[in-house]
Parts: sequence; structure tokens; C-alpha cells
Amino acid sequence: MAQGTLALPQVQTFGPVNKILRTIPGILLLAAIGYLGKFAEQSINAYAKAHHLHVPNIEYVLWAIVIGLVVSNTIGVPEVFRPGVLTYDFWLKAGIVLLGARFLLGDVLKLGGISLSLVILELAVAFTLMTILGRWFGLKPKLTSLLAVGSAVCGVSAIIATKGAIDADDEDSSYAIAAILALGALALFTFPLIGHGLHLSDHAYGLWAGLAVDNTAEATAAGALYSDAAGKIAVLAKTTRNAMIGFVVLGYAIYWASKGQAKAVTGKAAFLWQKFPKFVLGFLLVSLLATWGVFSKDQLGSLANLSRWAFLLTFAGVGLRTNFRELKAQGLRPFLVGAIGEVAIAIVTLGLVMGAAKVFQL
Amino acid sequence: MSQKQEHSAAPKGPAISLDTWAVAVALGLALLVRVGVIHRIPW
Repeated sequence: MAQGTLALPQVQTFGPVNKILRTIPGILLLAAIGYLGKFAEQSINAYAKAHHLHVPNIEYVLWAIVIGLVVSNTIGVPEVFRPGVLTYDFWLKAGIVLLGARFLLGDVLKLGGISLSLVILELAVAFTLMTILGRWFGLKPKLTSLLAVGSAVCGVSAIIATKGAIDADDEDSSYAIAAILALGALALFTFPLIGHGLHLSDHAYGLWAGLAVDNTAEATAAGALYSDAAGKIAVLAKTTRNAMIGFVVLGYAIYWASKGQAKAVTGKAAFLWQKFPKFVLGFLLVSLLATWGVFSKDQLGSLANLSRWAFLLTFAGVGLRTNFRELKAQGLRPFLVGAIGEVAIAIVTLGLVMGAAKVFQL
Repeated sequence: MSQKQEHSAAPKGPAISLDTWAVAVALGLALLVRVGVIHRIPW
């Protein structure tokens, strides 16, 4: 497990009921920090309005992440909260499924089609760049593969899936995860500034964040920090990227097996299904139901709000699981390779998105 | 490492992944909203 993340709880010795009970303190902490972020946004805005002050609107997303970061990097996250804090990924995926209620299937197909074309280009650029950079910096080939997958597809999930498939070392995956998480944290603060500086539309910015920010939680947060609409598009673009995970992992597994350095893959279709992120299907199903008119307008509003609450827990978790001291301890070279590659990918995808924005009037 | 070793397509982890649980919970909540058990979720 990456040292840049919270250690996985030792769940083997606990039954299912105990496992759920052990997550409760951490979930309550996520809810408290998330709600504090929402409260901070609303209170500051109300105060500014009452006193006729002009203050920039700092979204609850940023407050939740920053409060989580402060807790994680000062007092730390006590052991009792850790299993629950790790559920942020669960809330993220549930939130994405529920977000399907805010998309008509036609929009999903249109934007998903544009995203898919850009994702394929982004994958080609990311793999090529990371492989070249890994060689230049003398990184171990499997570490380079993990960094390439992490930056091209979907961050931590892709690295974990690929690690098993190519028999990479724990140490290599820890380096790769730490680099991707550190860069994701940086992207949270830099992407919205660049987007505003370039006056990107919500659609164009959301597409860029979904294509260039690696981890799904960070991509969702980076989009939501810009605007609600940008957050929606960022999730859609990132989900399209996530859908490629099975093919990418399968490709790497076959490559390393052909070199005799990983186990051969049998049952490729079953392998693809096993690696495929099921929440993508859930998102499409809810979008389909919304398009068919299964939900009333009020019900769609409730589902959208449920999605927001789930993301609120996720954003608090993003802050809480990021510990800069632990990330720093992972070493500089993988981070440098990741950083150079990420900057290049961000520039290339920005160019692609700006081009697509003109062509498709995004 | 020998190439004779193979990756089985069968899942090695828990029978139902966290990913699948998240989908199940989200769809369950959507159903509760649809049938009116959950009336209104404020933001």
C-alpha cells in the first residue's frame, strides 16, 4: 500500500458486521468535515452579503479538501477513523452513479463520444511520454509502466489493477501511487486558476479536468471547484477514461507476459469484465432511467442532491488521506517523471480540448 | 517468472467488489426515491 495514503485496515480478522461498524467513526468524520466546508461557504457568503462585501466565492469543495488536508498534516488521522476515511472511494462511485440522473442519455453519448476520441489521443500521448521519460530518468521498467497507466487512465485504481496483472513490486506501486496522488493534489489548486486565466467555458474546462487530472476523486473535485456544470462534465470525461482501464491493464499484462516477467492471461473477456469499473454501467443505467422519464422532476432533484452529499464525503476524504510528509518520503525521481509527464499531458490535452471546443461549440 | 503461470479471470478478492457495492447502494437509494420512501433530499 502506498505510504502516501492511509494504510489499509487489517480487515481479515473482522467479520462483515464488525467491518461496517469500524467504518462508522471515519464516515462521521468525513461528514463532519464535509459539512463544515459547506457551512464555511454559506456563512462567509451570508456575512459578505449582509455587510455588502465583495469576497471571492470559495466553494465548499475547496473548504472540505483544505480542512481535511489541515487535519491530516497537523494532528493526523487517528487509527479509529482510518477504516471509515478509506470509504471515500465508495462514496465517490455511488455519487457518480447518482450523477447519471443529471444527464440525458443523448448528452452522455454526445459528450462521451467527444471524450472518447480525446481519451484515445490522451492515452497515446501519455503512454509515449511516460515511457520515454521513465527511460531517461532510469526508472525501473515496471515502475514506468505503473506511472504510465496511472497518468493515462485513472490514477490509483489503474495502478493497483496493473500491479497485480504485471506482478510489479509493492515498492514500485507505492512510488507510482504517491507520485499520482501528489500531482493530483497540485492539480486541484492549479487547474481552476489556469481555467479561469484562459476563460475556458464550463464544458471545455470540465472536459480538460476529466482528461488530464488522474485520480477520479481529484478530477471530480477539480471540476467542481470551477463550477457545478464543469464538475458534471469532468466526471463524464473521467468516467470515459475509466472505462478504458480493462483494455489498458490487459495490454500491459500481455506485454509483460510476452517478456516472461508476468503471468500469462487466460480468458481475456472475463479478465476485461473483472477489471471493468462497474460504476460506469451504473451511471449509464441511471442516465437511461432519467431519460425515459422514470423519475419526476423533484425526484431527479433529490437524486442530484444525494450525489452532491456523496461527493461531499469524497472531497473530505481526499484532504484527509493526503499527507505531504509521507508523499515526500517516497523519493523524488518518480515524482519528477510524473510531474514532467503530467505537465506535458495537461498542455497537450488543453490544446485538444480547446480545439474540440471550437469544433463542437462546447 | 515462468510463462506457464497464468492469471485466472476468477476474482481473487471478495465475491462482491466495493465498486459493485457502490452501484448497488446508489441504485437502491434511487429506487427508494422513486417509490417515495425518500421524499426529498435537500442540499
